[in-house]
Amino acid sequence: MRFRAKIVDLACLNNFSRVINTISKLTKTCTLRLTVCKLYFILSDKVANGGASMWCELCQGNFFDEFQMEGVAAEHNEIYLELVPENLSRALKTAHSAKAVKIKLTNKHCPCLRVAVELPSLSSSSRIVTHDIPVGVIPRRIWNDFREPTMPDFDVSIYLPVLKIMKSVVERMKNLSNFIVIEANLSGEMNLKIETDLVSVTTHFKDLGNPPWASEEGCQSSAQGRNLESMAEACIDIKKLQQLLAGQQVNPTKALCNIVSKRIVHFILLHEDVSLQYFIPALA
Amino acid sequence: MFFQHYCWTAVSDPCHKEKELSLPCKLIVKAVLPVFRCANVLGRNVEKCSISTSPSDHHITFQLLCKHGVVKTYNLTFQECDPLQAVFAKHMCPNILKVHSRLLADVMIHFPTSQEEITLSVTPVKVCFKSYTEEDTDFSRTMVTEIHLSPEEFDYFQVGVDSEVTFCLKELRGLLAFSEATGVPVSIHFDRCGKPIAFSIEDVLLEASLILATLCEAQKEADSQERCCPQQWGSSETLPDKPSGDEPNSTDISKNPQRDGNAPTSPVAKQEVKSIPRVTGRDVTGRAGTPTAEAAGEATEAPYQKFHSLFFGAVSHKEKDATGHTFQSLATASDTEEDLGPLQSSPVL
Repeated sequence: MRFRAKIVDLACLNNFSRVINTISKLTKTCTLRLTVCKLYFILSDKVANGGASMWCELCQGNFFDEFQMEGVAAEHNEIYLELVPENLSRALKTAHSAKAVKIKLTNKHCPCLRVAVELPSLSSSSRIVTHDIPVGVIPRRIWNDFREPTMPDFDVSIYLPVLKIMKSVVERMKNLSNFIVIEANLSGEMNLKIETDLVSVTTHFKDLGNPPWASEEGCQSSAQGRNLESMAEACIDIKKLQQLLAGQQVNPTKALCNIVSKRIVHFILLHEDVSLQYFIPALA
Repeated sequence: MFFQHYCWTAVSDPCHKEKELSLPCKLIVKAVLPVFRCANVLGRNVEKCSISTSPSDHHITFQLLCKHGVVKTYNLTFQECDPLQAVFAKHMCPNILKVHSRLLADVMIHFPTSQEEITLSVTPVKVCFKSYTEEDTDFSRTMVTEIHLSPEEFDYFQVGVDSEVTFCLKELRGLLAFSEATGVPVSIHFDRCGKPIAFSIEDVLLEASLILATLCEAQKEADSQERCCPQQWGSSETLPDKPSGDEPNSTDISKNPQRDGNAPTSPVAKQEVKSIPRVTGRDVTGRAGTPTAEAAGEATEAPYQKFHSLFFGAVSHKEKDATGHTFQSLATASDTEEDLGPLQSSPVL
């Protein structure tokens, strides 16, 4: 198993840092899957995560100037690592002005991702900062746990409102309640509702638009023929929603969510070179 | 340089043989800060600030006489204390680095704020700071950071002996913040592991030193027993009575600060003179005729017998103030230090 990668371009580095920051806000530990063309940050829906799961996909060519990897075996040319994204985020945090950042998988005392940042200095030789981030190698026999989640058979799919506004609404609601109800219909209307003994607050969003999913076999069947005004709703943990929104540092190109009534809410955030899917299960 | 008028009256205490020339006391910094907050507001409104003490009832009074006849008075209680002095001969250190505080701050920023200790390792051709993890930590969980610098980045670089010293980063951050504010370069004096490391900044106006103990492999077992304890110094008031305190050259006095102005007879080698109450011109650190006043800081107990002593000296050119505040000469016992820090809890031979 070998992995080496290098980033030289500052814009790519900042972009990559931003992705890592977003991931680190969503979960304490996650799985990093490396393939020849792509990197995936995966969180599978174990009970420990509160049932939430995440799938984030990056095309390595968009970030790395050099990328070499050799998987566990020829026919399984992939590497699965368990890591704490906060560590990676911290290592990259102080690399704003770096000349180059190299990432390498090493195994001195234990498997580590070694991030070496070359910083400019006043003298002729650069300053080198190395961070050894401990990782766990995930054995091939449990790779199946980390497959891409399938798109759920949703009732409603709707574009999200401007994330900044949604974030500030959710943050205030978080002070009042632990759960939030998201409901939306196929007429571009979404409501965020909380209800406690003392107070209930609803924020209404209109004219959001609904993504035109091309009909595929068997998919979206529950969405077709549905009353346009009828709301699909799900009650979810407000903290998870807040973490998702707070982690977005840049406005995504597309942001939408699919709601399966009373079951799950599936968020999709698309940037130019990164796609993030986040599933929050509905609470009873 | 700071004061328009500075007056100290020595109070002779009948129960002590020698006159007490100083009032060692400590104030809680958080209590003093509000007095001088908002420097620009102060600059606009305050015409005069007067600071006075009344030792009998343990008060220091800060009075800000402002415009329009407004007078703000702050009465703060102080506690008398026996200041700790780190006994340490900077000039005897084989390794000396001098660097602008900005560089050190840029280096420390790569370590997480929760990082307790770091290791500085030097050879004549390279300098490396790395995070220190105790032997029993789970390496599969801790992130380790290392920073390599070239000697050229330092304003002054002298490495007499290859060494690797581990010290408390948290304590250093405070001094770095302070030195960045003053813009003064930081000097680092150290030796092999186990011997203390000193970070100091020196300016026309002030001098500050932070002396930290460093970890030594052999010391680790002794950690739990060795504690730096202010009580060791507690007897200093009666010190001059002790026969061991009579000879300035004796290593016995290494632990005990002399209270009166026994002029150091051999300022070189063992002694680091901080202030010379009556004798002028003999100052090992090379600033002739400039007595330094110090308010000794606190030593805190910490794991691994770590301690620090932070003292500030205001350098004043006025000779007459020399009789005022004081501190005494310190003799170092660097040859008896062995692997322990300068404050030894075991009796000196």
